[in-house]
Amino acid sequence: MEDFLTLIAEILEEESVELSDELQSFEAWDSLTILSIIAICDEEYNAALSAEEIENSDTILGLRELIESKR
Amino acid sequence: MNLKFHNKKITGILTVLPENEVNFDDEIDNYDCSKAQSMKLKLIMGYGKRRVVKKGTTVSDLCVFGMNYLFDNNLLKKDDIDAMILVTQSPDHFVPATSHIIQGKLDLKQDMICLDINQACSGYPIGLNQAFMLLEQDEVKKVVVLNADIMSRKVSVKDRGSRPLTGDAAAITIVENDSSDNIIYGTVNLDGKGADALIIPAGGFKMPSTQETAELKTDKSGNSRSLDHLVMKGDVVFNFVQKEVPPMIENLLDKAGSNKDQVDYYMFHQPNKFMLKKLADKMGVPYSKMPNNIVENFGNSSGVSIPTNITYNLGEKLLTDSFLICLAGFGAGLSWASLLLEMGNLDFCNTIDYNN
Repeated sequence: MEDFLTLIAEILEEESVELSDELQSFEAWDSLTILSIIAICDEEYNAALSAEEIENSDTILGLRELIESKR
Repeated sequence: MNLKFHNKKITGILTVLPENEVNFDDEIDNYDCSKAQSMKLKLIMGYGKRRVVKKGTTVSDLCVFGMNYLFDNNLLKKDDIDAMILVTQSPDHFVPATSHIIQGKLDLKQDMICLDINQACSGYPIGLNQAFMLLEQDEVKKVVVLNADIMSRKVSVKDRGSRPLTGDAAAITIVENDSSDNIIYGTVNLDGKGADALIIPAGGFKMPSTQETAELKTDKSGNSRSLDHLVMKGDVVFNFVQKEVPPMIENLLDKAGSNKDQVDYYMFHQPNKFMLKKLADKMGVPYSKMPNNIVENFGNSSGVSIPTNITYNLGEKLLTDSFLICLAGFGAGLSWASLLLEMGNLDFCNTIDYNN
């Protein structure tokens, strides 16, 4: 998952992101962004996430841990 | 389950679209979303124009209009119809079957088989399966498969997850026996444990519609709908489609002894542009072989989206040429089904507008 931060930054339309960043704090955070994360996790990490799990993961670190637990 | 049919063919497809067109741009104010979000929705999901019936128009109206068009243009004879199947989730009434209402309105013969099938987005392959099976009867020579839905009447005007992609339509497919010694391969699967992923909670016998079920409630994404409205768990449906559809097609091609490059077109159900592109990516199929432009032009009309896709994107080609076509439907149920068949030299393959 080396490129994880790059991928997430791209989805969130940011230059770069930190693991401690809160997901809800991003301007681009909405249901379509969540859908894009679901899609990228399916494509890149073969992990099926629900919208609720993603929202409950709070931070980018939480999201990474969630993906790792589903692989 | 794997299915196999011998010596059957499709000889004509007609799509009937309501003339009434709605634009996403004109409806944006109904939804709780910013300008930037709505631009993203248009771009990614393919929200655009869609065709919807006006209040009062029913599934039988669309079907009768299309059937009369075929009779008037000498493309079909009333007495030749030995069976008629209607696949819909928006019947005129609970009782009686809408196929019987249509049979009556069209003054068709009494000596025939009519039945309704309650299936949604996988309704096209499932309706065709039934037609192929009926053709095994000696006295059944020609089957009419009607696919029709008017789900726009059941989506909340304040639900940006479902409303902007829902369209209405009907399609008529003629199925007959064929002497060319061909084989059609198919698959059917389902998972009733996912029944609540796409559901209209109220309005049936379990929870009849009342004033309470009509009350609008707002969810955390800012969408408002009532229990009388269609509700979709978008994330569950997305994951289900990505998980089940690629292996379904792989298995279908395997059973048929074909490979994915031999298939000329993948004419799939049209949930939205995003999901179709992701499916094509996952399956390693070029976008040019898997059209994804139905939602943006007409809306997703549930089980009618596959015939709409065929008549809109391949209409003229299918009159003179023949192609190996893979069909796949997937959605409410949950249900997923596919067919692999040679299709071409049709008697008709076009779209008409219904003026109401």
